[in-house]
Amino acid sequence: MVKSERLQAESVEAASGSAWLIGLAAWFIPGAGHLLLKKWGRAALMGGAVWLSFFVGLAMGGHMFDLTPDVATSGSMFDWSTMIQVPPMIANLGSGIAYVVCWMMDVGFRDDPVQAARTTYEYGNTFLLIAGLMNYLTMLDAFDVAAGRKS
Amino acid sequence: MNHFLVMMLFAALAAIVFGVISKDTNRERWVYGVKVFAEFIVIGLVLGWILYFIP
Repeated sequence: MVKSERLQAESVEAASGSAWLIGLAAWFIPGAGHLLLKKWGRAALMGGAVWLSFFVGLAMGGHMFDLTPDVATSGSMFDWSTMIQVPPMIANLGSGIAYVVCWMMDVGFRDDPVQAARTTYEYGNTFLLIAGLMNYLTMLDAFDVAAGRKS
Repeated sequence: MNHFLVMMLFAALAAIVFGVISKDTNRERWVYGVKVFAEFIVIGLVLGWILYFIP
């Protein structure tokens, strides 16, 4: 690390506890982080984009991912092939409470051939993935603002 | 909803988030958001036409 980079790194103050809490709130409820920071416009735009993307994805018949193995085909409760579902699951998890509620109500998680045959199925998957990924960006933005690293 | 409208909705949502987080002033955000939106649409159309000619 060169001297200027070291000086720059040292000048960045450690984030406060409230910044971490705001980051957590921003992940759990899309838009909540900016609402807590009284950034109304950003909360409406970014939170709105995440929620709209999520519900459009669901309405299109999109599918979300978890680590539940398909017992019918694998024959056991653990299957290495489920590991391929980890990256999309991480993306879906970005939607916070929306993902948790859907998981608890088993909405959007079933492997239904009729649903998969819909023309908009893959679009729905993409919208659901992007909703989570956009919320990660929203969460990081809220954290940076709360930590004073960004206006 | 047809494919193009879905692509436009996707581009608009992504452009909003990218625009808001990437720049500092509202004007810069607008310009960047519109640029990202246009790029999504143009690249999507170009890829669509390329795939159209591939059997």
